[in-house]
Amino acid sequence: MRFSTEQKDSYTEVSGTGRLNMVAAPKLREVVGEVVSAGNKRIVLNMLATDFIDSSGLGALIGCLKMARQAGGDLRIACVQPQVKMVLELTSMNRVLTPHATAEGAFSND
Amino acid sequence: MTEVLAQRAYQAPASPEAIDELHTELDRIWEVASFVPELDQMAFTTAVIESASNVVQHGVAVPGGELRLGVTLTVMSSVLQARISEIGAVPSPEMPSASLPDDDEESGRGLALIEALMTTITVELRGETKTWVLSREIETPA
Repeated sequence: MRFSTEQKDSYTEVSGTGRLNMVAAPKLREVVGEVVSAGNKRIVLNMLATDFIDSSGLGALIGCLKMARQAGGDLRIACVQPQVKMVLELTSMNRVLTPHATAEGAFSND
Repeated sequence: MTEVLAQRAYQAPASPEAIDELHTELDRIWEVASFVPELDQMAFTTAVIESASNVVQHGVAVPGGELRLGVTLTVMSSVLQARISEIGAVPSPEMPSASLPDDDEESGRGLALIEALMTTITVELRGETKTWVLSREIETPA
């Protein structure tokens, strides 16, 4: 899985391309950890090109959410694909990580 | 119902890299069995990867041996079946919890997810091989 980071006006966008599985989960934690360490607290994970997630990936998402919140910020997810939506719903994690339709809209109501 | 329409087998040392290779095997089987509805493909792939990841993460090799992951994927006209084997493992009859953990827990959702996606789950223990047999009935039979 490949990750890229882009600084936007009011948040940092992290995009992941590929499968968020046990191989990619530690990489996501590392990428988001670096973003938070650099002082960026509002993070949007753009999942447009993330075509798969499993419970390891979900664990990494929760870990990243905790990192952002402990730093006084938040992590939100956007553009989720059908398999990711299915896994979020079946594990009820959509209550904690509510998918946003667009990355731009994830923090727009704050 | 029992006629085999597509089948693939995979075996490798139980490493994280094997999970990506197995995912590619799953993608290949859907190329052959494209009649299987997308929802069933998605559910089956998710459960198989969860189960195989469990072998890689929690399987313990017998002393001096190598832990291997063996998977057979079978597509029948109305059923999808996977046999996921932990080969050369210290026998462990314990089952992980199937209930969902607290929202802030970072692990422990795998079996709950597999249960939600599969019609039946059985576990066979034979010496140093533990095999998970996962089946999902196809929602709209071909």
